[in-house]
Amino acid sequence: MRKAFRQLDEILRGDATQLSSLEQGQIELPLKGLLMVMVLLGVIYGLCIGSFNLLHPLEEDAVITTRDAWMQTFASAVKLPLLFCLTLLITFPSLYVFNALVGSRLRLLSVLKLLVASIAVMLAVVASLGPIVVFFSLCTSSYPFMQLLNVTVSGVAGFLGLAFLLRTLHRLVLIQENKLMGEAAAAVPPPPPAPPIPTPVAPPGVVPPEGANVPFSPDIEQAKKLSALDRYGYTHQKAKYVVRIWTIVFGLVGAQMSWVLRPFIGTPNLPFEWFRERESNFFLAVLNALQALFSID
Amino acid sequence: MLLTWADDILRAKMLVLDGGSTRQRLATLAAVLCVFGMTYGGVMGCYAGIFGGKLLQIVYSAVKVPMLLMITFGLSLPFFYVVNSLYGLRDDFGKVLRALLATQAGVTVILAALSPLTIVWYLSCENYRAAILFNALMFATASISAQLVLKRFYRPLIETNPMHLRLLRLWITIYGFVGIQMGWTLRPFIGSPNSPTQFFRDEAWGNAYLQLYRIITGLFG
Repeated sequence: MRKAFRQLDEILRGDATQLSSLEQGQIELPLKGLLMVMVLLGVIYGLCIGSFNLLHPLEEDAVITTRDAWMQTFASAVKLPLLFCLTLLITFPSLYVFNALVGSRLRLLSVLKLLVASIAVMLAVVASLGPIVVFFSLCTSSYPFMQLLNVTVSGVAGFLGLAFLLRTLHRLVLIQENKLMGEAAAAVPPPPPAPPIPTPVAPPGVVPPEGANVPFSPDIEQAKKLSALDRYGYTHQKAKYVVRIWTIVFGLVGAQMSWVLRPFIGTPNLPFEWFRERESNFFLAVLNALQALFSID
Repeated sequence: MLLTWADDILRAKMLVLDGGSTRQRLATLAAVLCVFGMTYGGVMGCYAGIFGGKLLQIVYSAVKVPMLLMITFGLSLPFFYVVNSLYGLRDDFGKVLRALLATQAGVTVILAALSPLTIVWYLSCENYRAAILFNALMFATASISAQLVLKRFYRPLIETNPMHLRLLRLWITIYGFVGIQMGWTLRPFIGSPNSPTQFFRDEAWGNAYLQLYRIITGLFG
């Protein structure tokens, strides 16, 4: 277990995705231990969300009973890891296929590990925001406020997790292109990869200029000039584009999965159910919550 | 002794962060935080305390001010830790933590320095709402002034990596978001003369932001 936590720590610190370790075109991660830690983090956040009805004083018109509130807490703790696992399963095939289509040499297992690592980042972020969620559960009895708070928390986590995924893919593509160019330069043996500077994950929302993360060594520059390598920029650009679109898909799927698996928080006005009727969708629900929040008297 | 420490914190002497053993430094900061925080808290609770004959309120308020700062700090920390790791700043986290803690202590020192003003206010104006507003103003002053302390402690960190500045802004946002709600939850700090002395108010469990929204829409609606 401790080893698994160290693994998670290495992912967070970026040790697992340094250029030197990505050089082989794969990511070194023991999946089994990592998955256990991820489930644990998911359970923690699930407990934080689901305890809403346990912690805040119930209003008089609340339908939910104490037993229901306990059940909801338990159900959320079970469903939250499930949500991330299902999102992983649903988005993995498309990531792999697109990844292969744009010419990446990442193998199936490596793509899986990359996705798992990104989701581990998300889970670490949500779990770390758990104390704040619990605090607000204690203080507020407004259900729409909690909904929106949790949407924000998950949104922040998703953003950071996907930024991690994008950065790592970006690095992998760069390394591969470098290698290709090295081979193209033929006479020159594959140049050493760029020194493993402790590159932080680029700030979300800020797109660094092309290749800003990776300083090219001079002989790579040379290789670039020697062979007419239009393809380099071309594939690279395309790959970036495809992966960006895929992240949007990931976000949509994650959001909608959370809607399908609801309730996580549990409105005080309905008795406990494992799953609610299949109606409406995530985005309408967020709009409704916003409306409800701002129409209080 | 305590005053020297307080002075060191306000001037952001690196001694506060680097001198002595870790335990010593932490103990110093904790001592400053408790003593000065409790000073302001005690003064704050005077409103109904001495003049309304409720001495207990003074004790409660004195305990609550350090509590307010430390619990908010504790709740915001895990997320900040994870984000720092993600942006590759984990190796500096020890320094970051000390800078943040020192700033907390700085807030209490500033508050304590403002406490005579609060006393004068209490003596000159009996209105309870005005007392609340005045205290809110004092807290705001202290938090804003403490930014100076924070900037000073953070400067060497920002020089090594500009990302620290961004994350500092993130920290201030999160801390503010939690802190405002915490202040609301830990009421009463001042203690209305008309209600019984309590550690927590039964009806205090509300959402500060929704209350604020209600007050604003009430003003304009």
